[in-house]
Amino acid sequence: MYQTVVGLEIHIHLNTKTKAFCSCRAEFGDEPNTNVCPVCLGYPGVLPVLNEEALIQGYAVARALGCELSKRTLFDRKNYFYPDMPKNYQITQFHDPVGQNGKIEFQAPDGTVKTVRIHDVHLEEDAGKMIHAGDMTLCDYNRAGYSLLEVVTEPDLTSGEDAEAFLLAFQRLVRYLGVSDGNMDEGSMKCDTNVSIRKAGDKLGTKVEIKNLNSTRFIKKAIEFETKRQATALDGGQRLVQETRLWNENRDVTESMRTKEGSLDYRYFPEPDIPPFAPDATFWKTVEGRQVELPLARRQRLVAAFGLSKEQGDFVTESRFLADFFEESARVSGNGIAIANWLMGDVQKELNHFSLTLESSPLTPARLAQLQALLDSGRIHIKIAKQLLDAVFEEKKDPEVLLKEKGLEAITTEEQLAPIVEQVFAKHAAVVAAVQAGDGRQRGFLVGQVMQATGGRAAPAMVNAMVTKKL
Amino acid sequence: MSATIAWKQFQAKKEAYLAYARPWEKKIASFLTYRPEASPVTTATGPLAGLPFGVKDNIAVDGFPLTCGSKMLADLISPYDATVVARIKAAGAFVIGKTNLDEFGMGSSTDNSALGKTHNPWDVTRVAGGSSGGSAAAVAAGLVPFSLGTDTGGSVRQPASFCGVYGFKPTYGILSRYGLTAYASSLETPGILSSDLELVKTIFEVAQGRDVHDQTSLDAETLASRPVKTIAVLADLADLDPGVKAVYEHTLNVLKDLGFVLVPVSLPTLDYAVPAYYTIATAEASANLARFNGIRYGHRPVYAENPEHLVRQSRTDGFGDEVKTRIMVGTYVLRSGFQDQYYTKAQKVRTLIGNDLQKVFDQADLLLSPTFPVPAFVHGDKTMNEFQQKLADKFTVTANLAGVPALSFPAGLSGGLPVGMQFTAPAFGEARLFEAAAAFATRVPVAACPGTSLDWSK
Repeated sequence: MYQTVVGLEIHIHLNTKTKAFCSCRAEFGDEPNTNVCPVCLGYPGVLPVLNEEALIQGYAVARALGCELSKRTLFDRKNYFYPDMPKNYQITQFHDPVGQNGKIEFQAPDGTVKTVRIHDVHLEEDAGKMIHAGDMTLCDYNRAGYSLLEVVTEPDLTSGEDAEAFLLAFQRLVRYLGVSDGNMDEGSMKCDTNVSIRKAGDKLGTKVEIKNLNSTRFIKKAIEFETKRQATALDGGQRLVQETRLWNENRDVTESMRTKEGSLDYRYFPEPDIPPFAPDATFWKTVEGRQVELPLARRQRLVAAFGLSKEQGDFVTESRFLADFFEESARVSGNGIAIANWLMGDVQKELNHFSLTLESSPLTPARLAQLQALLDSGRIHIKIAKQLLDAVFEEKKDPEVLLKEKGLEAITTEEQLAPIVEQVFAKHAAVVAAVQAGDGRQRGFLVGQVMQATGGRAAPAMVNAMVTKKL
Repeated sequence: MSATIAWKQFQAKKEAYLAYARPWEKKIASFLTYRPEASPVTTATGPLAGLPFGVKDNIAVDGFPLTCGSKMLADLISPYDATVVARIKAAGAFVIGKTNLDEFGMGSSTDNSALGKTHNPWDVTRVAGGSSGGSAAAVAAGLVPFSLGTDTGGSVRQPASFCGVYGFKPTYGILSRYGLTAYASSLETPGILSSDLELVKTIFEVAQGRDVHDQTSLDAETLASRPVKTIAVLADLADLDPGVKAVYEHTLNVLKDLGFVLVPVSLPTLDYAVPAYYTIATAEASANLARFNGIRYGHRPVYAENPEHLVRQSRTDGFGDEVKTRIMVGTYVLRSGFQDQYYTKAQKVRTLIGNDLQKVFDQADLLLSPTFPVPAFVHGDKTMNEFQQKLADKFTVTANLAGVPALSFPAGLSGGLPVGMQFTAPAFGEARLFEAAAAFATRVPVAACPGTSLDWSK
């Protein structure tokens, strides 16, 4: 039986307004070659000017990943020719990246908390994009020079499932930090995956790097495919070669791209155009100010504080906004479980119905807490609560206000209920007479009529008791 | 009438200028682009108001070609101004043309230009030096009052010496590199060539200082001001041309006579300077020139099978032999597993040279040496092959490796050819260079190239 060993190289687009080394807009999906200038097109004579916001975000991520932070970070040139790379070298960090030797915990699908060590966190620039059209190749350099952050893990993951869970946790982390949207389908997060297998206790096997993986699901599948492919090869007496393979998403297989013999020598050397960067006290303070409670810690805290289930905990910490929303609402209402249920259920339905996000919706933590407080104090019943939630979305008012305007307050006393029962009995005198004469079958009809006449505002047990008493 | 005042009448006397300049330019071919007719009627004010100037064709000037002397960029028009150009323009001067150079600044003769052959105004069978040969020749022939060059390992100072003008290389970082087509980024800097030392100082004044487009740029720091008293001289100077040696010895006598104290020193690392220089320069060049691939601009074949073929063919056709040689050497010294042997070792030598120079400056205010071991050589000279030309860079490359300022000044003639000597100062010691060179000029005035004149302004 083999053990799978996985290490990841994750790239994220940083959330900077301008590119890493020039003042061009870093905007996804614009008209090709419109966000370009002599610097990012690599004209003769231009020089890179480092975007300080990219540095701040890079350090913030490295700090959140528990790295040792560089006190004097350096940039290097990585040399290779590719038509989408204007300078034919990439400015990256090789000798002294912003962070090294970190570690981060994540929750595996089986519920256990596992640790992945971080080899390093470094800043670099993205390349442009090639578009093949018939017998032509077109280049779009809008993306050239985007700030990228690469996070390299140690080979600490042991299955496709765990790798997927780790990536989702990582995605959540960068979103919490506000440094990237982490969307893999838009290319703002990418991940190259290194996979090897070994027998328990053996040293690391020959690794294969898999590229072209643009979803966490593909990464899981690719790791599972590689594990089987490598096991079959070894069992068949073959030797594995160190190589780069591409994921073919149509066939669910990896295919060889190049072997190590054909691999590139990047000839790294220090970037002479960018002096070493030594953070000062203000910079460190800014980085510290960007730190947030990390998703896993927050989930654990909220679960403990409000007695949530694992699913509820996962759900309410999906994004920092949602977690903030939940926590505020749960704190005010004092009923975290109910708030979580609202958010997972009816609130989602309303958001879908109105095509809104929670951020853009009229529902606020205070309004949701108020709704739950009305329920908890017995002033409304669940059916009314759902109507009120809908009304909040429709009319953008507080539940209390809507309750008054619509007269939906629950009927909680016999004095309130008695006149309604009177009316129903008067209207259906024949049925009343029949029931009183011993025809018990129509008793339920009377209860139903009273319930309907209250608009659902009275508790069924109370209506039942009163009808019985009246008969 | 001082030269600068004569040049201020350029606009009014343009016809006379053209009548003087055209035959000269035909003789020496110093410019790759020369637009004296098109020069603007300027009402600019400022310390350089009304002065035309030439710019080496590897420095960006908005709307002018930026060929770098290469077939690769023969058709490129720069979309922007280099910072030094913009600052000099803002002081009132205007660009009259782009001067010839060794392709991408790689050479000591300007004969490595793919786009033209420049001749020395003192003797047209000889080279103007390089790589800023066109800038030096244009100044020496009186076609411009000053010009900009770039100095990576002596490329401003050596042609200045060959053409009998001042060639100034500042402390690394004081003049922004933004707009200078990179050859060896950590070594090079814009430089100034002129026959008028005061003008060199003025240009340096207006062009210097930190630039937001160049993170390696600096504001000048003031060295503790003191009059230059002591000048270090190298105890052992071998392999000098006899004519250069004679001018050197005469220079020592003049300096002594002026009251300077000469301090004999040794630079034990001098013999390692050239290998270290070429290792670092070619390594950086191999990356800096990678951007020229025929895709976004520049030379490209009419047809290519695929992007890789396009890049390969563009570079095969677009670059000359010297450029290809240096890219190959640079690629070689950066190979992984061999960096300790070459690139890293060269960086260590660089540090040692800096330390050695520091020791010299602990003993003296300036260092004097010849600029180059020989005067201008003839085109295609067989007595100095490519390799020997590189070894001869040893007096100039030290300043680039250490990032310190240096000035080549006209020190006399040998067989009718000008010979330059060089002062090197510690970082930010530019004022010392100007002070000592001005003192020297009171005894040995700058010799005008025969047949040149400012009298066109009459």
